[in-house]
Amino acid sequence: MSLGISDERLLDLYRVMFRIRTFENGVKQLIDEGKCSHVSLSMGGEAVAAGVSAHLTAEDQIGSTHRPLGHLVAKGGDLRRMMAEIMAKSTGTNRGKGGPYHIFEKGVGALGANGIVGGSVPMCAGYALANQLRGNGAVAVSYFGEGASNQGGVQETLNLAACWSLPLVFVCENSSPEVQRMLGHEIDYPQLSIDNVGDRGATYGMPGATHDGWDVEKVYTVAGEAVDRARGGGGPSLLEFKIHRLDADEESQYCPVRCFRDRLMSRGVLTEALDAELRDAEVGRVMEAIDFAVGSPEPELIDAHVGVFVEDG
Amino acid sequence: MPRVITYAEAVNEALRAEMLRDPEVILFGENVSSSWRPATKGLKETFGRERVRDAPITETAFIGAGVGAAVVGMRPVVELMLVDFGLVAMDQILNQMAKTTYMTGGEVNVPMVLRCIYGAGGGNAATHSETLTGLYAHMPGLKVAVPSNPYDAKGLLIAAIRDPNPVAFFEHRLLGRMEGEVPEELYIVPFGVANLVREGRDVTVVATGRMVQEAAKAADALKGEVSVEVIDPRTLVPLDEEAILRSVGKTGRLVAVDEDYERCGFTAEVAAVVAEKGFRSLKAPVARVANPNTPIPFNRNLERHVLPDADKIVRAIKSIVK
Repeated sequence: MSLGISDERLLDLYRVMFRIRTFENGVKQLIDEGKCSHVSLSMGGEAVAAGVSAHLTAEDQIGSTHRPLGHLVAKGGDLRRMMAEIMAKSTGTNRGKGGPYHIFEKGVGALGANGIVGGSVPMCAGYALANQLRGNGAVAVSYFGEGASNQGGVQETLNLAACWSLPLVFVCENSSPEVQRMLGHEIDYPQLSIDNVGDRGATYGMPGATHDGWDVEKVYTVAGEAVDRARGGGGPSLLEFKIHRLDADEESQYCPVRCFRDRLMSRGVLTEALDAELRDAEVGRVMEAIDFAVGSPEPELIDAHVGVFVEDG
Repeated sequence: MPRVITYAEAVNEALRAEMLRDPEVILFGENVSSSWRPATKGLKETFGRERVRDAPITETAFIGAGVGAAVVGMRPVVELMLVDFGLVAMDQILNQMAKTTYMTGGEVNVPMVLRCIYGAGGGNAATHSETLTGLYAHMPGLKVAVPSNPYDAKGLLIAAIRDPNPVAFFEHRLLGRMEGEVPEELYIVPFGVANLVREGRDVTVVATGRMVQEAAKAADALKGEVSVEVIDPRTLVPLDEEAILRSVGKTGRLVAVDEDYERCGFTAEVAAVVAEKGFRSLKAPVARVANPNTPIPFNRNLERHVLPDADKIVRAIKSIVK
């Protein structure tokens, strides 16, 4: 036990984090082999996705970003249909017409990835508004990065959520805590004029805080408080998690999966045998997803014209 | 004795009826609770401030909230106080509202209505007078309704709210006080069905929104001289091409009229449809009457100078009817 988290829950968190990492490793391999287009991966953010989604059910909604795979996997996304979408197959979540930047899976509340930086954030206010009006106790979580945190729409939505006291948790993954610039964007000026995006919560009248995003137990604990607050009618919160984007499954002191495994091993919650068993199961699931995607048909050309509108009635 | 109410009252009646019928219909935007705005007056008092909700002046946030609420199955009606203000929220409108259905392969849809108040003629200058229907009609995935009279305003708005697709619903700011016969009961004016406003033999005038009145005035002014057929498409997307082609097939001449910018605008679309599918019917070149690609000037004389009206439509008709 640590921070009041049961061993069973700790292992669940580890399993989800490892699933995300394995899924993205699989995607990376497909990219390297030229079997799918570029996909923005989320390596380094596994603890945030797993720690937040552990508090959510299928009735709760998330809105995600152009690095969505971790969020979607943690929310319970179907690995096979997601992998098929990444490969642009007709069996994909979006029938091959959206790609990884636009994956939606309604049944698990994954609504959805978004190709526009900050684009999903206002929509999350709508999910939260619907929850509030329906009185169903559901909560929306809006993921975005430190770059998006400067977008007008994100700041407008922070204000709107506070004005309407929406059941909405804003989760900012700050992936460039030292350099204050977005990964891969070589610019001479910083993205942010402040150190902590979490500080902006106060200016919109909601709790805001900044935490280490590579520590899943920390994420789990503070996300639980924010989700409970939203669910109980207490309104929105802003959580910032500092993370380090990893380019690959690398050895890093900031690798959330590795940090957590070491910690669980040292506490005796995880053993080598259990770890191997758990890893084999997840690798098997991802292999099955890849097989499904590879074996799925391309969309028909006629499908390009279908679905601009849904049929009436 | 048929009942006469205003265009704004017709909008109000449609909103009220649909909110009574379906608790998932909600209304929000800037100042929608205000008692001085006839299209939404009294709705907050009936349905409460939760369902009729004032939003801060943040179009991106509240239009995006409309998209999100629609994605999870509610029926939001979002008011854009002026269509010009929507230009700060183009991502939410043209990306998220318009494309989400297609991009998700139908996994979700967006049953949302964006009420766009639009139009020149009030001396309000270039950021408070635009039409922009062409901009919305350009983007795949949006339906576009432009009611020209109180009867259509009520029937088209009810159809829009019940439509499973996103609808941009254009209400001309100067039509709010227009009076017309409107049945008390619920009825639908279906999308994609044009209204034959005036029957004629010599020339077809296709006009939208407030320009339908101007086209009708032009037809009346030419009575005994030129027989003018006036067609109001009612919705730009979907467009009743059949009705336009049938009419041009009869008259052999086309004048396309709207208040939007001429270049790449709806009048260009109508001209293209007729050129592609009705070319052999044409006895004369197509004429267009629209904004001559200028921002709307503040000065009233200048504004009148660039704004289409009945006189300009008469001149355009005469130019192709010899």
